[in-house]
Amino acid sequence: MRAVVVGAGFAGSLIAKVLGDNGFSVLVLEAGADTDHDEAVERFRASRVKSPLRPYRTTVAAPSSDYLINTGPFDYASPYLRMNGGTGAAWTGITPRMHPDDFRTADIGRGRNWPISYDDLEPYYRAAEWEIGIAADADEQRQHLPVAEGYRYPMHALPRTYLDRVVASVVDGASIDGHELLVVGTPQARNGKPVDGYRPDGNLCAGYASCVPICPEQAKYTPHRTQKRWSGTVELRTRCVVNRVHADEFGRVTKVSYQRYEDDTTGRHTRHEEEADVVILAAHAIENAKLLLMSGLANSSDQVGRNLMDHPALLTWALMPQPVGPFRGPGSTTGIEAFRGGPERGRRAPFRIEIGNWGWGWSAGSPDSDTAEFVAAGLRGTALRRAVAERVSRQFALQVEVEQEADPANRVTLAAERDALGNPRPSLHYGLSDYVKDGLLAAKRVCDQLFEMLKAEDYTSYKPDEERYFEHNGEPLRYWGAGHGGGTHVMGSSRRDSVVDQWQRCWDHPNLYAVGCGSMPSLGTSNPSITMAALALRTADHLVSSRVEGVLGKMSKAP
Amino acid sequence: MDAFVELSAELTGFSAEELRSTGLVEQYRALAQDASHAEIIELWYTGVWRGVIPSSRAYAEGLAWKAVGVAPPGTRAPGFGSWEHRPRRSSL
Repeated sequence: MRAVVVGAGFAGSLIAKVLGDNGFSVLVLEAGADTDHDEAVERFRASRVKSPLRPYRTTVAAPSSDYLINTGPFDYASPYLRMNGGTGAAWTGITPRMHPDDFRTADIGRGRNWPISYDDLEPYYRAAEWEIGIAADADEQRQHLPVAEGYRYPMHALPRTYLDRVVASVVDGASIDGHELLVVGTPQARNGKPVDGYRPDGNLCAGYASCVPICPEQAKYTPHRTQKRWSGTVELRTRCVVNRVHADEFGRVTKVSYQRYEDDTTGRHTRHEEEADVVILAAHAIENAKLLLMSGLANSSDQVGRNLMDHPALLTWALMPQPVGPFRGPGSTTGIEAFRGGPERGRRAPFRIEIGNWGWGWSAGSPDSDTAEFVAAGLRGTALRRAVAERVSRQFALQVEVEQEADPANRVTLAAERDALGNPRPSLHYGLSDYVKDGLLAAKRVCDQLFEMLKAEDYTSYKPDEERYFEHNGEPLRYWGAGHGGGTHVMGSSRRDSVVDQWQRCWDHPNLYAVGCGSMPSLGTSNPSITMAALALRTADHLVSSRVEGVLGKMSKAP
Repeated sequence: MDAFVELSAELTGFSAEELRSTGLVEQYRALAQDASHAEIIELWYTGVWRGVIPSSRAYAEGLAWKAVGVAPPGTRAPGFGSWEHRPRRSSL
């Protein structure tokens, strides 16, 4: 059985591993190049703007998200990376599961229901957590989620930050709007102390405080780890941009076309084809949609590219009364989960609050911005040194991920503009509904109350000349991209209104799969990578167990 | 006396010895020949010279981080679990 996987990121690397372990011959075609780890660390240190894509090798032939064209009322704010390992190289490594309610968003909130339940996915969450290597405490997670009895995460929960303890000592047991507050540890894809029977891959987290975009210690999981465990039947070819998937008259996929390039700085390339019994698109939500649209496939429902979602993130930032030691260790080790559900979900988007341990780095560019402010105010010498120390050592932030419901008007289409290989660039029409804006505003009000409880001095400000600023009900707001693009080949229970079925198989093509966050009918309020990984392992299981009567059987049944 | 080091110490609040220990005095002296005081401070505190970081060492030795008492992200690791503890008071 010959499988072609398009994309060597999170989902593609996991599926390739399971298929390879089960005797499939697997070819993984990755559009981007490889980045040397040490070079990437060096590039991170020397970059003025330390944005997520910055450390990684870029090529003209396979540009990353900076080639997107925004046409909607709001800008789609989340980057992604076309490189071996994908955005999974730069990700934060925070892995909360979705809540059971998040699979029924149409019933209890807005958007779409999933065709599967939390219970269907639960065994695959466990499998994914062991494959990736997650540090968390099952009893602690049971405070807000059903986790199987007797289950242990492969590593003990990471120690909480000092900041977390300060916050918990004030807010635990208090209430806001009838929600009881509790600071809960967030599962982490970085190495802690293992439980018996688990051998971590790589070193212990050493606290470099640069998980996004790169962990110098390689203590954070990236898809490269899974790739190292691939069997000999899995072959990776980087610098291969798939630009067409071909199907026969019965809808069965036969082969892919791809463009191979050698140098980083031009669009010069050669053209190739590869036959396949099964093709798995794992190129990122936006790239999967682009490729399906370019191929004219899988779109009888007219849903390909639609339902583009992200987590619009609201950042708020303040000073604690005392130093809390920011910029030591992971970006966030706990959160407040109390606002992920509740009856308000019928009226406004729910949200999850991360307690942010890297000062105002993300929100305001600290400590450079603080230095500039004090220098402009005339501070020099010891007075300047004291002011910077006093300001930065007390900084913390709340990072709130707000759910965005599936809306068919938020969509990826093909732009008229072409990239260096001659392929259409993705055009995004993106907006925020009142449901989302109401959620952002509610989140802002909860942050205000938390700051008040903590006796923290609020420095949050959103200004009209800043990117992604808007006003809602007369209040200034701003959103940031969380990097959680999804929904663009949405999963459903009917071929009439969805692109893939519960196995992430395209309804229109028995041997074509589109996997990743693009399949998700809702994102809930969880960082989606662990759910993407669980879905990928479920799909891999399905591919392995159905291979006998699978693709060949379906061929003979074709109309 | 070294006029550039002396001026830098006065502007930054760090001693000549602290500045020399960064290993950046010669590089910064060459860059900052016609710099304003604000530019000299920005260079020492953030490692940025007119919008660019001249070397990864410039980032790693940024005085803003030293003032706070933490390493710039991605340069030196404080060790597993170190983030649990109450931060040390800075030396000033």
